Amino acid sequence: MPKGPGGLGNALRDLSGALLPLSARGLGQELEERLRKIPTRLNEYGFDQFGLEPAAAKSQLLLSGLLYRYYFRVETRGIEKVPSGRVLLISNHAGQLPFDGMMLGVAMLLEAEPPRIVRGMGEYWIPQLPFVGVSAIRSGSMVGTPENCVQMLEADECVMVFPEGVRGMNKLFRERYKLQRFGQGFVRLALETETPIVPIGIVGSEEQQPGLANVPRLGKLLGMPAFPLTLGFPWLGPLGILPLPVKYRIYFGDPLRLDGSPTEEDAQIQAKVDLVRDAMHGLLQRGRAERKGIFRG
Amino acid sequence: MEKVLITGIAGGLGRLLARRLLENYEVCGVDRVPWEGRPRSIAVHAVDLRKRGFEDVIRTELPTAVVHMGFVRDFRSDLSRRHDANVRGTKRLLDHCAHYGVQKLVVFSSGTVYGALYDNPFYMDEDRALEASRGYPEIRDLVEVDAIATTFLWRYPHISTCVLRPVNVLGHYVRSMISEFLRLERQPTVMGFDPLMQFIHEQDVVEAIALSLYHGLQGVFNLVGPGQVPIHTAIRETGGRPIALPEFLFRPLIRQLFARGMVPWPEGAIDFLKFPVTLSGRRFVEATNFRPLFGLEEIFQSLRD
Repeated sequence: MPKGPGGLGNALRDLSGALLPLSARGLGQELEERLRKIPTRLNEYGFDQFGLEPAAAKSQLLLSGLLYRYYFRVETRGIEKVPSGRVLLISNHAGQLPFDGMMLGVAMLLEAEPPRIVRGMGEYWIPQLPFVGVSAIRSGSMVGTPENCVQMLEADECVMVFPEGVRGMNKLFRERYKLQRFGQGFVRLALETETPIVPIGIVGSEEQQPGLANVPRLGKLLGMPAFPLTLGFPWLGPLGILPLPVKYRIYFGDPLRLDGSPTEEDAQIQAKVDLVRDAMHGLLQRGRAERKGIFRG
Repeated sequence: MEKVLITGIAGGLGRLLARRLLENYEVCGVDRVPWEGRPRSIAVHAVDLRKRGFEDVIRTELPTAVVHMGFVRDFRSDLSRRHDANVRGTKRLLDHCAHYGVQKLVVFSSGTVYGALYDNPFYMDEDRALEASRGYPEIRDLVEVDAIATTFLWRYPHISTCVLRPVNVLGHYVRSMISEFLRLERQPTVMGFDPLMQFIHEQDVVEAIALSLYHGLQGVFNLVGPGQVPIHTAIRETGGRPIALPEFLFRPLIRQLFARGMVPWPEGAIDFLKFPVTLSGRRFVEATNFRPLFGLEEIFQSLRD
């Protein structure tokens, strides 16, 4: 985007700054300070080697930060267990839209020491979309291929993986907190790059958008991975995609350092996948037991 | 003393390289155009690589090393003639190298041969397939030149052949598509896209070629400079002003203007404004300990001078 030479651009920025509620202005400053402390190395123009630009990421993070603080009222447990250096965050995935990834990203930025940029893995076709592809890269995401992920980990970044993929995200309400089948890729990546795995259980996201049924055929027709019917969607139109104001709790487990070779047989890899999965299951159980209600602290 | 023959010696990079190699080698060269004001000790022959005259040059000069950088890279001439000059010229040159006892060969290819594909991973290594012609058929000849050189590398293991694939080269002397694009006052770009681009200074490229000769490198090597920035940043830092056009307008516009000879870039070049082609230079660094001397700021400044 061309930078405005002043005048109108600045005026608009000042106006929007004045209209922002105080809480948002405070959060904006906090995000800026936290972004200054990330361990990722930036070049003299403010970009990291993968195209992340904290200055540009800030404005995207402001909205997710507001959701984090005031809508989902996120609480974390055990975030200090996340080791510094390269790490894989492995989490459950639910709720039709990836607010869980967004909240995990904000948590690692606002609550972890030092603050980290969480690297999400996007679909391979995203770079073809104007604006969307660029903003994904600027905020630290990547196309989710093993090649890219290995490079991120070798650069000591923090990569987030949802091994359930869309199987988790589009599951129905009656399947909430039931972990779906896991892919094995994340374990092979961890072994190849000697990366510790932090299992994560997110409680709350599984109730944010209760799925009543899924019509995959209709989804296919529209080029979407699924076509969920939920409490709100499609009956309420675009409003229906809004998640319920559930309370989020993010539980971080103890880091697992796996031994083995990335070329092991599927069965051996599966045993390691199950190890991570069991840990996540435990975190989810604990989280559900500890909460007073879906919407309350 | 070893003798180096440089093809394309009268070009910006060729001249720099000739002067640099003069420190350690006897230097001669060929080009289609003369080099006015060259150092007296450098013999320059105006011959076509495909013609008999070139074989005579090799036979009489008997170079021990050859640096091949004389390619037609613009699209002003007819495409099939360009293709013939680059592909058949390279083929003939390599035949002569094998026949007349050349011991070291550097073929100066380019990182563009990988192609600007939307699913390119971050930093690609040398084993990546060369897919530039998929969306950019006009540079098929450069992809073929690279492939011919790689085949030669395996067929003649006793000749130290080094295929270099540099990232975008900028500098005061070098003239290339990207350098001329950045020298414009205003640059058209594709709205909503801003790929990372890597750059290297021309002096560092010359040094890297000298290193390849010195080590007698054998193999295919990406050549990477000090870093990368998004293309819009590069445009601003070199003193230009990007004009972002939506792709549905941009594509037909470039197609029409190119057909009328009003812009020097065919439609296929648009993908390089949309998707990144970033290379890993690890292999070359491990082989030579190469470290670029010029940083990004100096590289961009060199276009403003």
